[in-house]
Amino acid sequence: MMTPVQQVVMAIIQITVLVSIILLIVPLMTFAERKVIGYIQVRLGATRQAGGIRGFAAGINKLSWAMGRIPILSFFRGLPVFAADGLKLLLKEDIVPDRADRFVFVIAPVICMIPAFATFAVICFYPGTLFTFPTTFPIIGGLPFTGFLTDINVGLLYIMAVGSIGVYGIVLGGWASNSKYPLLGGLRSAAQIISYEIPLSLSLLVAVVLSGTLNFRELSLYLAGVPMVTAAGEIVQMPLIAAIPLFFGFFFYITCGFAETNRVPFDLAEAETELVSGFHTEYSGMKFAWFMLAEYANMMAVSAIAAGFFLGGHYLLPFGLQRFVPDSIPFLAQPSLLFFFGKVFFLLFTFLWVRATLPRYRYDQLMSVGWKWLIPVTLVNLVIAATIRLIF
Amino acid sequence: MNALFITIGQNLFFVFGLLACAGAAAMVLSKSAVHSVLSFLFSMIMVAACFLCLSAEFLGMAQLLIYAGGIVVLFLFVVMLVELTKYKEKSLFALQTKWSIPLILVAMATFAYTMKSNLFNAPASVALTLPPDLVQGLSVSAQNAQSVSRGLFAGFLLPLEILSVILLVSLVGALVLAKSERVA
Repeated sequence: MMTPVQQVVMAIIQITVLVSIILLIVPLMTFAERKVIGYIQVRLGATRQAGGIRGFAAGINKLSWAMGRIPILSFFRGLPVFAADGLKLLLKEDIVPDRADRFVFVIAPVICMIPAFATFAVICFYPGTLFTFPTTFPIIGGLPFTGFLTDINVGLLYIMAVGSIGVYGIVLGGWASNSKYPLLGGLRSAAQIISYEIPLSLSLLVAVVLSGTLNFRELSLYLAGVPMVTAAGEIVQMPLIAAIPLFFGFFFYITCGFAETNRVPFDLAEAETELVSGFHTEYSGMKFAWFMLAEYANMMAVSAIAAGFFLGGHYLLPFGLQRFVPDSIPFLAQPSLLFFFGKVFFLLFTFLWVRATLPRYRYDQLMSVGWKWLIPVTLVNLVIAATIRLIF
Repeated sequence: MNALFITIGQNLFFVFGLLACAGAAAMVLSKSAVHSVLSFLFSMIMVAACFLCLSAEFLGMAQLLIYAGGIVVLFLFVVMLVELTKYKEKSLFALQTKWSIPLILVAMATFAYTMKSNLFNAPASVALTLPPDLVQGLSVSAQNAQSVSRGLFAGFLLPLEILSVILLVSLVGALVLAKSERVA
């Protein structure tokens, strides 16, 4: 049992590590966004701030250009752009419009960012101890460093509750700017996020109905299809047929997740071609960066939730198919941090992939997709899941 | 140090309660309607934190999800769309001062009495728990959400269903109102 001081110190260490990882991945994501979209559109993406390529690598580069191929190294040219981006946003002048509501204008990016980061408090990256601190450490010696921050029994509700706070940042940012396009963007976004929260929750409820728990760790273990011990001490395993609603639920969830994070094809809050750039038109410098941070952190959270619930979490195979991997295989049968992060990165790539592929929805199309299609089909999916739960 | 943290943990409820009251006061006192809604949001989040301090996790999260995430957004929506600036000089919210002050005093006395008799006295002799046949195979202290759901869907199923019918009626009513306006 940890003493309160140990608990606090441990929590601070874990939070620091987690936030550093997020803050490292987010700028890399902006770089990857340029490069992936560039690659899909058959161009190189960002190549400035590249530094020189010298020596052997330069020889390979020249050789591949001579052979008429784009050298692989060219895809990593421009990697310093992400550092330059951050520096630029930090040093830029921070403008507050004259007639803006100053207090709300300043607080809106904060309201946007805090929920985006707070979501990660309950996400379970690994269902156990990653390593133990050596006993030579002063306060926390001998304590385990777990793969999750907290293990509360209402984890899923917490995710949904905290996620529903994030919309205030967008709406208030749009309103406080006291300008036409941001207000339109903010209003659109509020309607969109409130509408898509319903099918999002319904598709997540499939996972809850099947497993009978709200704890993120237990949910991801149960839905991976391996035998799991509940809090009451029983051993349960998901029936194989439950893979069907889980499979469809994944696609519904990802669709709603795109809408919740304001990404293409549902990026009506920003909509550069019609609204200049939507709710953050008047923002500059670090405040703008906070909106961006929140957006990318939300993308990561959506990816992590989808990976944890639908894609088998810390195990190799998605949709509860892990049972087909025999226990005798050394690495593949065990839960691993690598599998989880692999799935998260694949889903993050999917965000970019979709952005480069699909055009934006019109506003009425967006609403009719949400209310007339997604809510009914997620309800049907939920009924199927409940039937499976009842019978098997 | 340990003792300090334990004391803080035991008194967090009062901290969050006071913050909730501060949010409510700011809601009443602020000049701009949007600031009022923001204070209301703050107050709601603090109430959810109070529930968490009483280890009612499900209730706390439901409070966040429904009030902070749903209802206050609608308030904000309405306040932002309705032009309130023209009422600024008329002191719209200060019309019934002479009636409200005695009412507030009575309400505060009631709350103070309830708090005194509930918070600072000995705890109730019988704790409010589920009947033993409902909690089979459930560890109530660790599975708060499951216990609440057992209580709702096994113990109080009929009241819950009646409540859902009432909500459905209000939903249909809202639809009818919106529809008739559009036809006319």
